Amino acid sequence: MLARTAFARVAQPAVARAAPAGARNMATLREIEMRLKSVRNIEKITKSMKLIASTKLNKAQRALQAGKEYGLANSEVFQHAPAENVGKRKLFIVISSDKGMCGGIHSSVSKATRRAFKEQDVDADSPIAVVGDKSKGQLSRTLAENLVITFNQIGRDVPTFADAAGVADLIIKSGVQYDSIAIVYNKFVSAISYESDIVEVETAEALKESPGFKAYEMEEEVTNDLAEFALANAIYAALVEGHACEISARRNAMDNASKNAGDMIANLQLKYNRGRQAAITNELVDIITGASAL
Amino acid sequence: MSALRLASSLTRRAPRAFSAGRRGYAEASDKIKLSLVLPHQAIFSSTDVIQVNLPAATGDMGILANHVPSIEALRPGVVEVIDSANTSKKFFVAGGFATVHPNNKLTVNVVEAAPLESFSAEAVRANLQEAQRVANGNGSEEDKLEARIEAEVYEAIQHAL
Repeated sequence: MLARTAFARVAQPAVARAAPAGARNMATLREIEMRLKSVRNIEKITKSMKLIASTKLNKAQRALQAGKEYGLANSEVFQHAPAENVGKRKLFIVISSDKGMCGGIHSSVSKATRRAFKEQDVDADSPIAVVGDKSKGQLSRTLAENLVITFNQIGRDVPTFADAAGVADLIIKSGVQYDSIAIVYNKFVSAISYESDIVEVETAEALKESPGFKAYEMEEEVTNDLAEFALANAIYAALVEGHACEISARRNAMDNASKNAGDMIANLQLKYNRGRQAAITNELVDIITGASAL
Repeated sequence: MSALRLASSLTRRAPRAFSAGRRGYAEASDKIKLSLVLPHQAIFSSTDVIQVNLPAATGDMGILANHVPSIEALRPGVVEVIDSANTSKKFFVAGGFATVHPNNKLTVNVVEAAPLESFSAEAVRANLQEAQRVANGNGSEEDKLEARIEAEVYEAIQHAL
């Protein structure tokens, strides 16, 4: 786009008003100078965004360690009591955030959700709850009727348990009907990579039906509390992991952007210097030919 | 015949049980893997410990190795962990769930916990009064309920201290 407009701008005066060669050169020089300036400004912005993300990344990774541990301890009971023959109406909780500039974080979870709808054996009208405006926008293009509840303003800072509890509470209170729950989030693989993952959370009904769950000694009436608490915990773990992925992806994206801006600046600088030299040479030629004609 | 075999196996086992047993339980030398985790911190992660005392909603309970699988809701109270060096650590927890798994693992998920010695008695007293004031005041039903739970937690801390 940029290249085309630049080309158009350069091409027009050359055809329309046959300006002298030197003048045209000056015009492009000015343009190059302007672009150079704007690219430099962009580089400054991406560089500072990268720095901010880097400092946030440490905090996010520390939270991730604890959050992951918490999630693992929480899901242990589901491993011992796998759900059996549950219904096909699945609630998808998609975890992303409101802000962009972080590579494919949001489209990664959106894609995973769409893929799950296609490949898994779920009802076509299964409900979806979305945390984060970006994924909401992406999913409302294809699965708009399925979106039942959306959240924003979460994940600006490291998520707290209160955030997760609020999300879980609103989902439970909303009266959405579902047989099982799947949380779609980004899994932190390393500082430079992430992948979308789906973690299943069992509902109180599924737990009661599961033969593995019957091995546990417990009061009958706490099953509901356990399921709600487990949902909040699983959402918390996913929020924290998603947040760490987002920050590290932002850091990488901004790192790449700064590098690209650096390349562009070097390129433009070279072009500018060449153009300037050509203009000077041209002027010299003009002067010398003028002088020798006398 | 079987009684005889039982008796002989008992006599064979007896000396070992005595030599191992500081506490006299049959499997006391075995350890249970404890994960005591908060959302923002993992206090224990799959650490071998000897015994864990939990403030379960149904009453205080101690958990040793090879406990039957069970799920317990926790009320605000003190979790005491006796680690493999036989030293005891006490944490005040604000409530959550403890689950003993079939593979000799104990996971305790609590929302908030802190070592008992890091509480200040004055702060607890002041906050308890504040919570009680809100609970008996004329706020909304929801606020009052929250304050009542808060007061319960503070009372539990006070009791623990």
